[in-house]
Amino acid sequence: MTAHTPQLARLERSQGAAHVAMGMARGAVRLRDLAQRGSAKAFLPHVAGPVPEIVFLNTAGGLTGGDRLDYSLTLAEGCRAVVTTQTAERAYAAGEGTARVTVAHQVGRGGWLDWLPQETILYDGAALDRETTVDLAEGAGCLMLETVVLGRAAMGETVTRLAFRDLRCVRHKGRPVLVDPLAFDAHALAAGAGPAILGGARAFATLAMVGPGAEDALVRARAALDEPGVEAAASAFQGKLVLRLLAPDGWPLRRQVARVLASLRGRDLPRVWQL
Amino acid sequence: MSLALLTLVQWLSPAFPTGAFAYSHGLEWAAAEDGLCDRDKVGAWITDVLRFGAGRTDAILLAHALKGEDPDRLTDLARALAPSAERLRETDEQGAAFAATVAALTGRPLPPRPLPVAIGEAAAPLGLPVADVVALALHGFAANLVSAAVRFVPLGQTEGQRILAALHPLITDLAATAAVAPLEAIFTAAFRADLAAMRHETLNVRIFKT
Repeated sequence: MTAHTPQLARLERSQGAAHVAMGMARGAVRLRDLAQRGSAKAFLPHVAGPVPEIVFLNTAGGLTGGDRLDYSLTLAEGCRAVVTTQTAERAYAAGEGTARVTVAHQVGRGGWLDWLPQETILYDGAALDRETTVDLAEGAGCLMLETVVLGRAAMGETVTRLAFRDLRCVRHKGRPVLVDPLAFDAHALAAGAGPAILGGARAFATLAMVGPGAEDALVRARAALDEPGVEAAASAFQGKLVLRLLAPDGWPLRRQVARVLASLRGRDLPRVWQL
Repeated sequence: MSLALLTLVQWLSPAFPTGAFAYSHGLEWAAAEDGLCDRDKVGAWITDVLRFGAGRTDAILLAHALKGEDPDRLTDLARALAPSAERLRETDEQGAAFAATVAALTGRPLPPRPLPVAIGEAAAPLGLPVADVVALALHGFAANLVSAAVRFVPLGQTEGQRILAALHPLITDLAATAAVAPLEAIFTAAFRADLAAMRHETLNVRIFKT
């Protein structure tokens, strides 16, 4: 029995990589390349209007120790796109090893990316190492969201064992302009009720806008932070707008995030968000 | 006592003109609006900021600057890591004042940099053990937060010193870890400390800059 266990564990691990490239052709942003393998897929639902929507998904139905998932998008000069994930990502108890997720987007000169993945739900015992990088060319910008929920409140779950590292990095012409590395392990969770950590919140999100017009959006962003039960604040500096948001559970946070996004973007949320 | 260590103690003392007393790292908001009202709460808040927030982050940045890593690259990283306008201001302004004063004292050309990078660049030629420099810098940061709490919460002077004394084991542990940590080890969990710094921007009556 024991002799077979490691092999079985290896077989259960999922691997996936999906890459999408968009470029201008005949006056519109169009698909140039789509490469997908393993558990990672990408598709472009039909949307009205000039800004395409790209949806990534993990067909493995969640992440566990040793899984590997890569999403990437390349936007050519002058292209705008809205990119999201089809459902919430779930990181289950890891067993052995760590799940690794890499998100690497590139935005060409004067382009704009909305990277609005749905939330990540961390189960007790999850081990997830995620790195999200957005490389901006001259005059390019992005809006990026990351929402994390610790366990499922409705199931009465409490997360006490965790190895979660979540790095966001935005570079402009190769120089880092936003580096936001969050990590929660058992020690941080044990301190999680502390008012400098999470104040007992189970759901938290970071929303950042980088690029032309980002600082001007501060007043609009602050005016939209009014969801009961959600604590949130915004700051604008150095061509960036950064928001931190926390709530006792995922649902009020999702409503608040949707409202801020509506205010910042002035258009509907990606259809797969289903609010 | 070496002359190098005395030099560093001078640079990191509260009398050194970095203007540290004017920056509360969001603690003013926490005390005014978030119930940070007694010794235990203040001690826990500062502990968490050191362990999971800017204390740990700055300790690792400082260690790398001391070891001679490219200060321009570290400056970019330190500024990109600042989570809010006031937190950027806090590290930029204190770092610039620190570098200008050391430059005036030593005749060395030291450009303005975020505080941990400025301290590292200035202190590197002293040749002191990395963990010792980091521990003294962390102690200065903690002492400044305690001083802000004593003035604003308010706390008694002795209560404040009790908080600081209790932080000594944590400070030496953090310094020893940071001295050998790669830059990739920089992570934070002090989410609400960032929130406090952001909310301080819209606090109606403020006596601190941050």
